[in-house]
Amino acid sequence: MADGQLGKTFPVKSRLKPTPKKPSSSPESKYWRSFKTQQIQGLVSAVTFIDFSPDPPHDFAATFSASVTLYNSQTLEPKFKITSFTDVAYSATFRSDGKLLAAGGESGIVQVFDAKAKSDLHRKLRGHTRPVRVVRYPRFDKLHLFSGGDDTLVKYWDVASQTELLSLQGHKDYVRSGFASPASSDMFATGSYDHTVRVWDIRVSSLNSVMEINHGKPVEDVVFLPSGGLLATAGGNSVKIWDVIAGGKLVHSIESHNKTVTSLCVGKVGRDGGEESEKNRLFSVSLDGYLKVFDYSALKITHSMRYPAPLLSVAFSPDCSVRAIGTSNGTLFVGKRKKEQTESDAPGADKLVGFGSMEEPENRVLKPTNFRYFRRGQSEKPSEGDYLVKRPQKVKLAEHDKLLRKFRHKEALVSALNGKNPQNTVAVMEELVARKKLLKCVSNLDMEELGLLLGFLLRYVTMPRYSGFLMSLTKKVLELRVEDFRASELLKDHVRKLKRSVEEEIKIQQSLQEIQGIVSPLLMIAGRR
Amino acid sequence: MIIGGKSFVSSPPAFSNDAKKLLVSTGNTVSVYSTSTGLLMAELEGHKALVTSVVVVSASTPASKILCYCWTSSLDGTICYWDFSLPELMKKVDIRLPIVSMVIPNLLGPPVGENGKPVDLFAYISVEHVTKRDDEAKAFPGQIRKCNLTKSRLLGGVILAETQQPEAIIISPSKEFFGILNKRKLILWKVPDKDSENDVVKKIILHHTKSFTVLAFHPTQRIIAAGDVTGRILIWRGFGKRTFSRSVGSLSERTVESEEERPGVRGDDDAESCSTWHWHPAEVMVLSFSFDGAYLYSGGKEGVLVVWQLDTGKKKYLPRIGSPLLFFTASPDPSLLSISCADNAIHLLKMPSMEILNSIAGIKLPCSFPDTYQGLYGGVVFNQTAGLVAIRTEDYRIQFYSLFDDREVSQVRICERNHQPDDDITLVVTLLALSVDGSKMGTVEVKLPEEGIGGLVCLKFWASGSRSGDFTLSTVIYEPHSDAGISALAFHPTRHMAVSSSYRGDFKIWICNDDLQQKDQVLQKSGWRCHSVGSYKKKPMTAAAFSADGSVLAVAAGTVVTLWDPDRNILVAVIGETFMPIVSLSFVGNSEYLVSISRGSEPQLSVWSMSKLSVSWSYKLHVEAVACMTDASSFAVLALLPKSSKRLASDENRQSRKDGVILLFNVESPIPLSTWSVNKAKAGGLAFLQVNPSLLDRKISDEKAPQALLAYINSDHEYVVFDPYNGEDHKIRKNRLENLVPQDETGHFGYTSIYGELQEFDIRRDQTTEVPYAPSEKLWETIFSGSSHILPPLTKLCSTFLESLLEKRPAIQE
Repeated sequence: MADGQLGKTFPVKSRLKPTPKKPSSSPESKYWRSFKTQQIQGLVSAVTFIDFSPDPPHDFAATFSASVTLYNSQTLEPKFKITSFTDVAYSATFRSDGKLLAAGGESGIVQVFDAKAKSDLHRKLRGHTRPVRVVRYPRFDKLHLFSGGDDTLVKYWDVASQTELLSLQGHKDYVRSGFASPASSDMFATGSYDHTVRVWDIRVSSLNSVMEINHGKPVEDVVFLPSGGLLATAGGNSVKIWDVIAGGKLVHSIESHNKTVTSLCVGKVGRDGGEESEKNRLFSVSLDGYLKVFDYSALKITHSMRYPAPLLSVAFSPDCSVRAIGTSNGTLFVGKRKKEQTESDAPGADKLVGFGSMEEPENRVLKPTNFRYFRRGQSEKPSEGDYLVKRPQKVKLAEHDKLLRKFRHKEALVSALNGKNPQNTVAVMEELVARKKLLKCVSNLDMEELGLLLGFLLRYVTMPRYSGFLMSLTKKVLELRVEDFRASELLKDHVRKLKRSVEEEIKIQQSLQEIQGIVSPLLMIAGRR
Repeated sequence: MIIGGKSFVSSPPAFSNDAKKLLVSTGNTVSVYSTSTGLLMAELEGHKALVTSVVVVSASTPASKILCYCWTSSLDGTICYWDFSLPELMKKVDIRLPIVSMVIPNLLGPPVGENGKPVDLFAYISVEHVTKRDDEAKAFPGQIRKCNLTKSRLLGGVILAETQQPEAIIISPSKEFFGILNKRKLILWKVPDKDSENDVVKKIILHHTKSFTVLAFHPTQRIIAAGDVTGRILIWRGFGKRTFSRSVGSLSERTVESEEERPGVRGDDDAESCSTWHWHPAEVMVLSFSFDGAYLYSGGKEGVLVVWQLDTGKKKYLPRIGSPLLFFTASPDPSLLSISCADNAIHLLKMPSMEILNSIAGIKLPCSFPDTYQGLYGGVVFNQTAGLVAIRTEDYRIQFYSLFDDREVSQVRICERNHQPDDDITLVVTLLALSVDGSKMGTVEVKLPEEGIGGLVCLKFWASGSRSGDFTLSTVIYEPHSDAGISALAFHPTRHMAVSSSYRGDFKIWICNDDLQQKDQVLQKSGWRCHSVGSYKKKPMTAAAFSADGSVLAVAAGTVVTLWDPDRNILVAVIGETFMPIVSLSFVGNSEYLVSISRGSEPQLSVWSMSKLSVSWSYKLHVEAVACMTDASSFAVLALLPKSSKRLASDENRQSRKDGVILLFNVESPIPLSTWSVNKAKAGGLAFLQVNPSLLDRKISDEKAPQALLAYINSDHEYVVFDPYNGEDHKIRKNRLENLVPQDETGHFGYTSIYGELQEFDIRRDQTTEVPYAPSEKLWETIFSGSSHILPPLTKLCSTFLESLLEKRPAIQE
């Protein structure tokens, strides 16, 4: 009680901001936002497919135009470019060991390249008569691959001999997507514009699909979830999850996009703890420019992110530290998670172990000659039963607070104007009003400081948060210092700009009023019903 | 009947000899507070008017420190002698003149005189001489008189000084001198060594060009300090050498030669030098020397305690006390001091560090606000269930004061600002509302603009903590009705709902989403949000109230009352109208009646019937406050007596300055059930308090508990709580909390507080104890002594020398 009696020094505080009803960021969306996004711009056309190498350091291949470009996922620099396509290339994917890369193309030829270096190793699988939109390697099999084309056929190839083993018929429209089952090398699913997803098994010789799922819309992408028991399909505005083991039963349907969902992929939330299945997330990107993160164990959207262009492809590196998204206007958004210090230290430590001669650092007894002797035990953590004597919390004072405490009002105002935060500046101005000193300060400012003040007013006078206060202040400043404005060319320029921004704001207000005039009768009518 | 809310700072407090108790004059009584806990321990009741001074009989020996005797003087013309440990009145001396101040120099004097007779005890008192007839205009009613306390009489003919106003007497810590301030003069007297009735008391006068405000004596040297109205502190050294010294003959020569070397001394004043310090911007109100005379404490209106080092003039400060300082009292314990502040609080300071150890806070005094916000609201709000009153203070806080216990419960800081008593007011807490159960509080603060810039209205909702009167901030709403002022704030009686009405012509209903629990959200923020907005013909909304069950919301729109359904925000009915805008609305319990008040040139008290939607009856009365019972159909109003009736009022009323009347009505009839006349009714408050049986004497609760108690608080924040239905004066006593106060405290100070009690040790025993003793054989000291030619050869010496260096076990003699 006693300590509350005396006044304390209160730092000036800006007005509180309204808190949103819902907590603005869950820990998960915080995690997804922590990815540092960089743009790779100027690609020739839409990035239709991105695939990460399963082999560390997880380079990724982006397919756009008539080429496939490999990027270093750490530096984001292009490693090399494969241009041996006669027409637009599609769907460049890595083999399970990351050594080979296979791509389809508008020409209907499936080509296989060496993914490590730009070399001659080059196989051409000819068989499709129409453009090949899908080429995928099975999960563990290194010798075969399957492809789907606009000729409605799905073909299974032996790469080494460049021969077509199977030609699977069943789709009635373009095959635009496919995914190998993570559970078996012999199974894969393909999606087609005939609204169906077919699951194939090459061990079944009947050349018929094992399972057929009707999505209801042309299927843009199909993905097996890591367990292999669930299948996610994208088509139209919706993403659907199917239970493959239960014979293709619909588990859940997500209708959160406003335009066609173009691509799906699976990634992990890199948080510690929790079960493996709880960390897996399904990502979907759409032409509406949104990336949505779906937690399919809890069946809810956990995060959503907007990009400035229609999105066509999404991929996550296997270690979940890099996220790449391709847009229709030829831009790649690559998000990298900041590496934690411990992770980067770990490989170094591993190397040191090899020498074997490293000694354990000795726990030396500190002597009074050592400076640390005097600071020993200061960082000791209290144990559970300890009684904590709390040190009175020190009030943090900014420079303007210190000046205000010494009643140096003008200096405080100038210091706040020099600061970056407009909230603080307005808070200092309000404090000066409470002391009835603001106008005195304004009239005492010299030319340079006046320019500073005008610059601040110019920037923030039309901001709705501050406008109520700053508009009347601006008026007073102009009244008080009109002589000085006439004298200085620089200040005149400031005033001119100020005038322009005010005119702009008036225009905005007028148009807003017009809109209000249109809307309010509608609202009245709606209210009556 | 409980009377309370007295001022604690009408006169300086006094410490007991062991510094564990503080005697504070509170109105007609003297309250004894514990300095360690700050709680009331006892009360000395016996005076009939304001107690003006308390003098504790000081202890001459350490053994007598436990003695608890004191003299008190009062405006009723009596001096009382108390044993305040019991507490018991021992003696009463009737002077028959209002005593403004009293000092007793010879408290330490020899109890037995030379001739074996006990020496009389004398007091010097400052009285107001009013016994003369009225027509004989007296220029100097204030007199300094001498009084023989042992023989209980005033010494006739001994008038030391006459002043225009009765002045306070200040006595030096050594009890050698005392003095008064009289405008621009200091009048000092020396107490005669052998005080008797006939001794002439010598006096000197010191002059200054400004009016004096305060005076202090140095404890050991002949130094006095005095403060004036401009904030200067004057320090005279060696005052009264001429007059007060014994030998008259040698004196004249010395004064002549020292005439030139008396810097700063004015005219023929009797002092060696006078220096001036100036720090205070306004008048100095507190001045005191430290116990060793090394420091001088000063304080004034700006609320800063300044510690001057007397030799160098260096200053240390205790800033931001937040209220003008009035008195400074040093205790026998040098590390404990008390300062009395104008906001009716006494702070106990721990000295070298100048920390506030404890505060004895009375009810806060009303504070002055700009006129535009004065009329809105009296500044007092009652919590009817807990018997608390919430008062806004000058330093932007709300004080919760328990009416039954007569003590402060808590203070809630509304704005994070410091109050400086000198500054212009730029921030005003204009409104305060409490919910019926006292769990929610709403406040409105207005920041005044500087030439039209930066005005801000801010509505804050608070949620109560674990203790009553403990509130934490829940929601801040800036400019709730854009820039218009808020006229009223009211809480729903049962639910988390509140209404605020503005002068711009709309009212808003706020709800707290505390009770909405969303299951999937982990972080649920509770806060108040606007639920609906209503307005009636764009008329300014001036008052708002919920009915007892909360189903009807009444909002006064100027001269009419609009009734709303608060949930669906539908206008139910409009009733009216009155001549002047309505300023207050309240539903009478759970009856169907509504009471409205309007002020101005046509003041009106109206009772509206909700079933007929019309006026039931009305009076032309200027009503200050209305109190409604929660579960009965009666209400009480506090009305100001009109000026015309004041002339007709009886002499008795005029003399006691009774300007208001409390009327108790039943809603059905316009004839008041009972009336009481009260004083200082302007800006007073009125409320029915629920009766808590534990607060009453057991006897009464056995018989018949009163239905409800009526509390009246006047403009000086003195209050009275009484039973309105029973003419007999129930003995509702304050619960003294006696069991809470440890009567016998075991506190230490000085050496013992740091190191604990010194261990008793017996010197004789130390002497007798035997210590084992053996003669030391320090050969190396003696082996080389003597001339070199006597010494044996070094080869022989070497072995003995080395042998002697080896440590030998001394052969202890048994």
